[in-house]
Amino acid sequence: MRMSRDAKSFVRSSGACLAILSALLVIPGYAAAPAPGAAPPPRAGAPARAGAPAKPSKPTPHLPDGTVDLGGNGSWSLGWITNYERQLLDTPPGVDNVPFLPWSKAMYDYVQKTQNAYDPEGFCLPPGGPRAFGTPYPAEFLQQKDRIIVIFEGGAHVWREIHMDGRKHPTGSKLNPTYFGHSVGHWEGDTLVIDTVGYNERTWLGFNGFLHTDDLHTVERITRPNYDTLRYEVTIDDPGAYSKPWRMGWNIRWSEGQELQEYICQEENQFLIDLKDDFGKPFFQATETE
Amino acid sequence: MKIWKRTLLAALVAATAAGAALAHHSFASEFDASKKLKLTGTVTKVQWRNPHTYFFVDVKGQDGEIHNWAMELGSPNVLMRRGWTRDSLKIGDQITVEGSRARDNSYKGNANSVVMADGKRLFNGSADENEGKY
Repeated sequence: MRMSRDAKSFVRSSGACLAILSALLVIPGYAAAPAPGAAPPPRAGAPARAGAPAKPSKPTPHLPDGTVDLGGNGSWSLGWITNYERQLLDTPPGVDNVPFLPWSKAMYDYVQKTQNAYDPEGFCLPPGGPRAFGTPYPAEFLQQKDRIIVIFEGGAHVWREIHMDGRKHPTGSKLNPTYFGHSVGHWEGDTLVIDTVGYNERTWLGFNGFLHTDDLHTVERITRPNYDTLRYEVTIDDPGAYSKPWRMGWNIRWSEGQELQEYICQEENQFLIDLKDDFGKPFFQATETE
Repeated sequence: MKIWKRTLLAALVAATAAGAALAHHSFASEFDASKKLKLTGTVTKVQWRNPHTYFFVDVKGQDGEIHNWAMELGSPNVLMRRGWTRDSLKIGDQITVEGSRARDNSYKGNANSVVMADGKRLFNGSADENEGKY
């Protein structure tokens, strides 16, 4: 399979067609959200940490209005998660428990075969909503009265806006497909719940190639169970790519005193210059600049 | 005991930081972790750039020829957090670099660590992963 730019467009177009077809054939459903205020469940299959007992952490901080403070003098150290199939909630870990449709499973297999070479992040494109929390480098939450901004140092040095003013999602042609989609949020006790639609189809849900369509609807639940830990959980609902909703989740570590730095992935992406297609030919034709 | 603890802490910090070192593209599609490299030579060029810093080293091969190796490091933001500066490597420095070779067997590799002539070791890290274990 030669992944030329034409082929990539074809894959995207095919995905869009499949999304429409699937939307007509599959009745979407939504996973039941955990009870408000419930403690976040541990990650399915999470190995216990060997060695010394966990360092005690300070309690969850709160803002004067009573909501959880997702910030402080530091930032969240996002990891580079490459094994999303091990972050599944509700089921044991393993790719066999991801409810793929045939085409999305075929693309997953292709990604394994090609060793993730065509990962959009390798092209310095933004990671999209859920994967942004599994892509380095650090991130910060800026909490305002009517919105929350998440600044990601990594990915493509991007930010994400979560509307907290009670607005609804745009509908029809007013919903512009974007990398991060349109996010509205609210607090359920100490849990920030973010509902997002309007994703484009240019991101993967994970490094290992969980593709999605623009039917994707995510519900993210973010908590800070203690000062040093951010718990991230997301429900993936995409009838264009998966037979039923499914969930992933992981923990993110707080780094006290850590400040964001500049990271401009697009500066000189040598990886693309060297990238070959499946036939060993340059993925991009060389261009000469004056 | 204090020194031992400090050394252990430094090793843990380096190991933890390693997860984000190559967090831009697939390591496996470009490098082969089983093809370990240990090269000693002279730095000829340093490109302190995103998304990966590169440095080039003249190394005398077993064939007696000098080959100019291109070695990949993390981005400047990551390297700065690990104690590097843009002046850490300079043209003419005698260094030893350890890492993994490119899959296509070209004179290119991903650097895990660099040992300077004075023995100081700077870590880059490999493409291991953070599995959300924290």
